Amino acid sequence: MLALLLALHAVLALAAPALGRRLGPRVFLVCALAPGATAAWAATQAAGVLDGSATTQVLPWVPGLGLDLALRLDGFALLMVALVSGIGAVLFAYSRWYFSPRPGLGRFAGVLTAFAGSMLGVVLADNLLLIYVFWELTSITSYLLIGFEDEKGSARAAALQAILVTGAGGLAMLAGFVIVGQAAGTYSLSGILADPPGGGVVGAGLVLVLVGACTKSAQVPFHFWLPAAMAAPTPVSAYLHSATLVKAGVYLIARFAPAFAAGHAFWRPLVMGLGVATMLLGGWRALRQHDLKLLLAYGTVSQLGFMVVLVGAGIPELTFAGAALIVAHGLFKAALFMVVGIVDHQAHTRDLRVLSGLGRRMPGVAAVAAVAAASMAGVPLLLGFLSKEAAYEGLLHAHLGVGGSLALAGVVVGSVLTFAYGARFVLGGFGAGFGESAGGGDPVGPDVARPAPAFVVPAALFAVLTVVAGVAPALVDPLVGGGAGALDAAAGKAHLALWHGFTPALGLSVLTLAAGALLVAGAGTVERVQARLAGAPSAAGVYSSALVGLNRLADRVTAVLQNGSLPVYLGVILLTVLALPGLALLTRTRLPGGVVVGESPLQVVVAGVVLAAAVGAAFARRRFAAVLFLGGVGYGVAVLFVIQGAPDLALTQLLVETLAVVIFVLVLRHLPERFEPSAWRLGQATRVAVAGGVGVFVAAFSLVAAGARTAEPVSGAYLEQAVPEAGGQNVVNVILVDFRAFDTLGEITVLTVAALGIVSLVQAGRRQQDEA
Amino acid sequence: MTPAVIAQIEPIATPEIEWFAVSPLLVLVGGALVLLTAAALARSRPPRGFYALFTVVTAALAVACSALLWQRVTDPGRGPFTAIGGAITIDGFSVFFAVTITAAIALGALLADDYLRREGLDGPELYVLMLLSGTGGVVMAMANDLIVVFLGLETLSIALYVMAGLHLRRLESQESAIKYFVLGSFSSAFLLYGIALVYGATGSTNFGAIAGFLSGNVLASNGLLLAGFALLLVGLGFKVAAVPFHVWTPDVYQGAPTPVTAFMASASKAAGFAALLRVFVSTFDVYRLDWRPLMWGLAVLSLLVGSFLAVVQSDVKRMLAYSSISHAGFILVGAEAASDRGIAGALFYLLAYTFMVVGSFGVATLVGGRGDADHGLSAYRGLSRRRPLLALAFTVLLLAQAGVPLTSGFLAKFYVIGAAVEADSYALALIAMLSAVVAAFVYLRITVAMYMGDETEGAEAVTRPAVRVPPGAALALGVAVAFTIVVGILPSPVVDFARDAVPVLLSAP
Repeated sequence: MLALLLALHAVLALAAPALGRRLGPRVFLVCALAPGATAAWAATQAAGVLDGSATTQVLPWVPGLGLDLALRLDGFALLMVALVSGIGAVLFAYSRWYFSPRPGLGRFAGVLTAFAGSMLGVVLADNLLLIYVFWELTSITSYLLIGFEDEKGSARAAALQAILVTGAGGLAMLAGFVIVGQAAGTYSLSGILADPPGGGVVGAGLVLVLVGACTKSAQVPFHFWLPAAMAAPTPVSAYLHSATLVKAGVYLIARFAPAFAAGHAFWRPLVMGLGVATMLLGGWRALRQHDLKLLLAYGTVSQLGFMVVLVGAGIPELTFAGAALIVAHGLFKAALFMVVGIVDHQAHTRDLRVLSGLGRRMPGVAAVAAVAAASMAGVPLLLGFLSKEAAYEGLLHAHLGVGGSLALAGVVVGSVLTFAYGARFVLGGFGAGFGESAGGGDPVGPDVARPAPAFVVPAALFAVLTVVAGVAPALVDPLVGGGAGALDAAAGKAHLALWHGFTPALGLSVLTLAAGALLVAGAGTVERVQARLAGAPSAAGVYSSALVGLNRLADRVTAVLQNGSLPVYLGVILLTVLALPGLALLTRTRLPGGVVVGESPLQVVVAGVVLAAAVGAAFARRRFAAVLFLGGVGYGVAVLFVIQGAPDLALTQLLVETLAVVIFVLVLRHLPERFEPSAWRLGQATRVAVAGGVGVFVAAFSLVAAGARTAEPVSGAYLEQAVPEAGGQNVVNVILVDFRAFDTLGEITVLTVAALGIVSLVQAGRRQQDEA
Repeated sequence: MTPAVIAQIEPIATPEIEWFAVSPLLVLVGGALVLLTAAALARSRPPRGFYALFTVVTAALAVACSALLWQRVTDPGRGPFTAIGGAITIDGFSVFFAVTITAAIALGALLADDYLRREGLDGPELYVLMLLSGTGGVVMAMANDLIVVFLGLETLSIALYVMAGLHLRRLESQESAIKYFVLGSFSSAFLLYGIALVYGATGSTNFGAIAGFLSGNVLASNGLLLAGFALLLVGLGFKVAAVPFHVWTPDVYQGAPTPVTAFMASASKAAGFAALLRVFVSTFDVYRLDWRPLMWGLAVLSLLVGSFLAVVQSDVKRMLAYSSISHAGFILVGAEAASDRGIAGALFYLLAYTFMVVGSFGVATLVGGRGDADHGLSAYRGLSRRRPLLALAFTVLLLAQAGVPLTSGFLAKFYVIGAAVEADSYALALIAMLSAVVAAFVYLRITVAMYMGDETEGAEAVTRPAVRVPPGAALALGVAVAFTIVVGILPSPVVDFARDAVPVLLSAP
């Protein structure tokens, strides 16, 4: 059934483009079938799954590589499915009204469905590699979603940035998965978590997995892609930021933390530290945004940091609080984004400096926004308050020493910021303007068209759910408890409660609200401080300058290494030869003893001539002279052969040499008379050094190779048998016509065929000339 | 001589030739000769596409022969065997490469068909050379002897030198041919030096005998052998375009006629790796501690240099050339693992890569247009609007090269990375993934250019000559894309094929 649901997503995704042409925006309602059916089916399974019995399905895929389609619906997966498919179904319905008919809408709906399916796959997959597969699919489909409005340059740049960051993280994660999987001996997620492998290598693998999770969940220092990805249409932003894409990283950390947090000393400082840093940075940045959507995006960054702190600690109480926060965030963030969508749709602006008095024009929308923002800020009687309370409670009782206190302090400050930007959102969007810039420009608000009720209902639904769950926690408690229990059995025992009594946690909540209210009151001061600090380097700046630097560096390297010059290319290869085999020859072998330098004075003389000719060839200015010198080298070697008593070799050498010189001369007719003088002294010196080195190398090679002979030379036997067997005094002749007669026959045949070929070539050339 | 005397003469002991064993080679060579002779004798021009069709049929026959051989070597009762006096080995490995290289020939011929007519170069030469060059590649894969490796290498290379320079009117083509020839000759010479040293150290050039000698004897001084390893690595590293022997690759890939580049990047690289894997991983297995660091260095350099330099190119052919260097690095990661899994991973990677790269250069062939010169990134701007299917096909191939799931490229990368981790080469696995990240940027750049040309370029796009997609190239691209996706989704048959193709060491009988 699990696989069938995924297949349903795939089928609808493929069918959507065709359907879109006929149905227009209604295609979203058809596509809503996939997440809707998934949510409905998950609801039927809920009772059993939340009690701890997981539904699994395994289909073989590549058994040879340990890859199978293992799907598993346990408590935590159910919680995620509720978000992914539940919120997904509602958002699909919302898209029906958000989009006006336009070409390409069907394709867009298809990609959105494919994205929903991929995300579902991430949370259902029970095989690390399968997680990776779906993970990358979410990257690609979200890339297409963000870049949907591809007429806008900014959309394209943002989409590219998003896929680069998350794709890069994904590949790091794959490496981490392989390391962890090989160490554990299985790629099954549940298998690994049940029996986690240990050791330093696994630690390195976990860091890589964390890199992947942090890029996806926009943790510092990879947080910058998320606000940029705001270029997406609002329903997409709502979906990506509330329930899905960015939660994938949180999901993964939540899965891994209980099993690995205690065993690896780096885990808690790293994960919780990043989480706190992200929470503070996101909150701080959100406070200075004017674009409502950007404000929410930084808010998402901040909330993701909060979630990572909680689920990354690997402590039962905090895991439980994290699960609650995941649900709460899904609801209020979806509602908030939909509100922004409505505002944008009706008022055609999202700038809170311009918007004014919208609250009076559309009070329903304003109420939804207020409830959702209050939940985010942790106001009592809302779901957000419950999760925040649980988080404070857990952090107060987690025995993590100084680090734990720091984390608690960070979370409290982060929550204060959350309250402040939540208030900024509501007051700025629906009030009479906000902050120091209030009143500037032409206010938009009182005269915008009212939204259609169907447009507001989905957002209102989430707001109502937030309130209901906040007032009656027992309704959502089984889902959160069952989800947390699937991560860590101990976490399942905690419960959400409206009233814990006068606890320190309650005190912190009150403190948070009070400090947050102060911050809102002093909004003008905050904006001034922000403006003064704006020059600080940002991660986005580092990212873009890293890209530019990479380009420049590679450019320079290319100019040096790939300048198209053949001598340089050859030099690279020759230098490598000198470095590796040359070194091995030099250090690891001994030159054979008993090397005879010369047998007759004539040899010394000829060798001297050969050397002189070689040097002459290298130094000649004119091409023709160089060729003649080269010929001199060859003829000199032929003479050496003669002196050594090998006239046949000498003859061959003479023929080859003569032919080479003739061909050279023929080519020279088309070349300039002189070599181009090289002005670059260093280059010339390098060439001389490389040439000399290779000369020494080849000489050493010849000596060593000749000295390595172990077998009896074959010539002895030939000499012995020449007279008795073949009756010939000239051993060379005997070899050619007798001992190796078949070889000679073959060679003659080859020569004949080649000659025939040449004749026909020449004739063909002549024929063409005649015709012309 | 009287008959009595003749009767006394012992017949010369010639090795028995198993014709069946070399049947793929015979088909390829025979096809080449028949094509050349027929084209020379024919009085009239053959119908359009005849040469390409003939080449594809020849390739198909060779694959059929390979399939028969595969049945024989995987039959538990018979298994792998050596032939021609132990000069060649017929095992799963050689059959695997015969199939891979032959596939590259067929796809290359399909691409060349329209290209040659478009460029006014129509004739049988390219097809003949491709068949002969491919034959050399298969010989390298079958070799059971260093000398046979050299024979195959030269057959492969000499044909390629000519093919690179086949575009008579393009100066770049001529230049690339001469560069390739000069550098290739040097590297072949070094390979020969290496063979000489290994022979000096072990007393044989036969793989089985070398391996037997190395495992049975402890060498007092192994300098000869190590220098031999390094020299062999120079020669083979040049063929597979591993850094630092890669310098020719961008220039030659860019200059050569694009269908030839496709063939070069696939078949020639595959043949080089066939020899590399059989010689080092299989034959020199005992000395793995000595050659693994060398292989490690080659792999790291290839991965990093290939991916980083690909980023800054503005010419798509050069981008693909550098990316092929980084792919060579990935295959070397599999080789460095020095295990059966590593070899199987490298084989899987090679087969997947062959289809990806032929397809990619196939797209470049079409977009390049008349004159084979239009390869700048700007030529791809807005391709999705002019040729949506072509853009989609290229996107799939590029995503596969980036290693995106549900394409063959992902499993290929996973396979070799898994092998590296299993062999405790963690650093190498990490560097490989890092370079994959960088390389992904390159593929993305091309994709973005195709789908998201600048708004201002709408007018310019119209003035560009239309990209024609002739049927032969369409077929080749279709096959490449289909293979990439189907293997990405249902990889088991190919995984099994690669696993059963791990080379076997056999001594001469």
